[in-house]
Amino acid sequence: MGRAVIVQKLKLQSTVRWWAWLIALILGAVLVMGTQHDAVFYHDPILKVTAVQHQKPTKITDNFQNEDWQTRQTLTGHLLNGQYRGRSLTISNTYSASGAMDQRYRVGSQLFVVLHHHAGQLSATVKGYKRDTALVFMLWLVVGLLLLIMRFSGLMAFLSVAANGVLFLLAILLNGSTQGAQVLWIFGSLAVVFAALTLWLVLGRTRQMLITLATTLGGTLCAILVALLVFHVTHEKGMFYESMQYVTQLPRPLFLAETLLGSLGAVMDESTDIISSLYALKRERPELTSMQIFKSGRQIGSTIMGPLINVLFFIFVADTFPMALLYLKNGNSWGYTFSMNMSMGVVQSLISGIGIVLAVPLASYLASRWLPKEVRA
Amino acid sequence: MSTITLLGLILLVLMVVVGGKAGAQSFLALLLNFGLLFLTIVLVAFHFSPLIVTLVVGMMVLALTIFMSSGDDLSSTVAFIASALVLVLLILLIVPVEHWAMVQGFGPEDSEDLEGLSVLVGISFVQVTIATAILSTLGAIAEAAMAIAAGLSEILDQHPQVTLKALFGDGITVGKQIIGTTFNTLFFGFFGGFLALFIWFTGVHYSFGEILNDKIFVAEILMILFSMLSVLLTVPVTTWVMTRAVAEKRRHAAKQTSPQDQVK
Repeated sequence: MGRAVIVQKLKLQSTVRWWAWLIALILGAVLVMGTQHDAVFYHDPILKVTAVQHQKPTKITDNFQNEDWQTRQTLTGHLLNGQYRGRSLTISNTYSASGAMDQRYRVGSQLFVVLHHHAGQLSATVKGYKRDTALVFMLWLVVGLLLLIMRFSGLMAFLSVAANGVLFLLAILLNGSTQGAQVLWIFGSLAVVFAALTLWLVLGRTRQMLITLATTLGGTLCAILVALLVFHVTHEKGMFYESMQYVTQLPRPLFLAETLLGSLGAVMDESTDIISSLYALKRERPELTSMQIFKSGRQIGSTIMGPLINVLFFIFVADTFPMALLYLKNGNSWGYTFSMNMSMGVVQSLISGIGIVLAVPLASYLASRWLPKEVRA
Repeated sequence: MSTITLLGLILLVLMVVVGGKAGAQSFLALLLNFGLLFLTIVLVAFHFSPLIVTLVVGMMVLALTIFMSSGDDLSSTVAFIASALVLVLLILLIVPVEHWAMVQGFGPEDSEDLEGLSVLVGISFVQVTIATAILSTLGAIAEAAMAIAAGLSEILDQHPQVTLKALFGDGITVGKQIIGTTFNTLFFGFFGGFLALFIWFTGVHYSFGEILNDKIFVAEILMILFSMLSVLLTVPVTTWVMTRAVAEKRRHAAKQTSPQDQVK
């Protein structure tokens, strides 16, 4: 009888699964179709290209002997929204083969345009490409797979990222309302809230969560303090704050806030790993002394710290690729290209790395002191 | 002494003190990875195809990261094969999505930084952006593959006779344990980097619709999503490669023992 029940249960599970995949697929189709026809919700006029004519490409050579091809295209299309909905318009657009700042548009492309009235004639220029469909598609793909493969754990991971996203947005608005004067304080306190919320979602309100939280905050704080000390000793030689992108406020505190947030996740990841492994170890072998626990913690930590620093390094430095390439192609030396594009990313990776390494002894020490004598399974 | 040198030295000393030989090896891997990343940019500047250079460098980075950290042979090999598979899968997805979203190169927000630079340099920036997206996921793929392979290898040590089906389930369970924290690493890693950009958006009062279609914003969010997806794919792929490896090993072992049994 038992076996029959299990088989039935398995069958039920697999059918539930089948339905879940189907629902996800339909939802995805609805979302993609929806964003392709959402022009009415936009305030800016949107033009759908229905015909494209190309002129002959012309060769362009710049001062550094870089060769490129520029092409002029004439786009014909109709407006999808606003008071001129349905009106036909013709726009000209120039694109290059490299396409760093321009785009080649195709039939079916939806473009944001700016309308001009000139002597009773309506004309338009392209402002940007409509990208929401691609964005929504990728979002659907990731969230869908997350929920289907990871089920409940996936849901929790999604919730914690979503909650952190909302907090992040609120903090940015708060930062804007104080004109950026308090950026380090705002994001410093935010880091504490982020860490507490995330760990609470993963571990619940347990002693394990408190030890992990203490390690995370301690490790990150130590890294920032070491960084400040090093900045003081070296007078920030070789750091080029002017090379930071999109900066609209005092760069130094902003840089520290970026580094703080950037390393927080990795330190939290590592502390969670070490401390949960130590809990599992203590559960299996309750006779372990604090010294043995400390040693095992160090052992576990030293195998995961390298790959984790790598994760952040690639995130911080890969992003500078396009700009660094442009610097090289504009006749700059390797050294100058590095300084103006990658130095800040490397400093960020190093500070985060220091935090990640410091968290290993910290996690092992705190776990060896605070781990309960009896760990219940 | 420059800030980078001193910070680098401190990191090296700390890694050696905490991790011993493994720590020194990880530091070396980090240095080599930086060299490879810089080499990629230089090679692309010399008009090598960005996609091919990235694919080759990507494989080298994965091999370096995985084989230079301490791990047993089985889990390192499995982690490398799995991460290489994920890399290929990811490229197959990134290429069409980046063409579709048209987020290559630079946006209007970059105009100040681009002042005085010629942007018509004759290198396809769609491919450069694809390369950037791939490179930024490499660390995450390697880390996730190693974590899962190590977890499974430990299970195999404790229960050498575990069935392949059960092993697959174990892989997903190990994946469930790491997915939450790994997503947070990625989330904070990326959002830390984009803080300035988001402050810009609110400062200049972009509307919701404008942000959602902004070239730079979409490019950055796509990069986060690609990384998260790569970690997600790594879980079943690594588990699958591990079950294949174990099946192969058992078949091999069965072949070797059976003739002896007959002799007895």
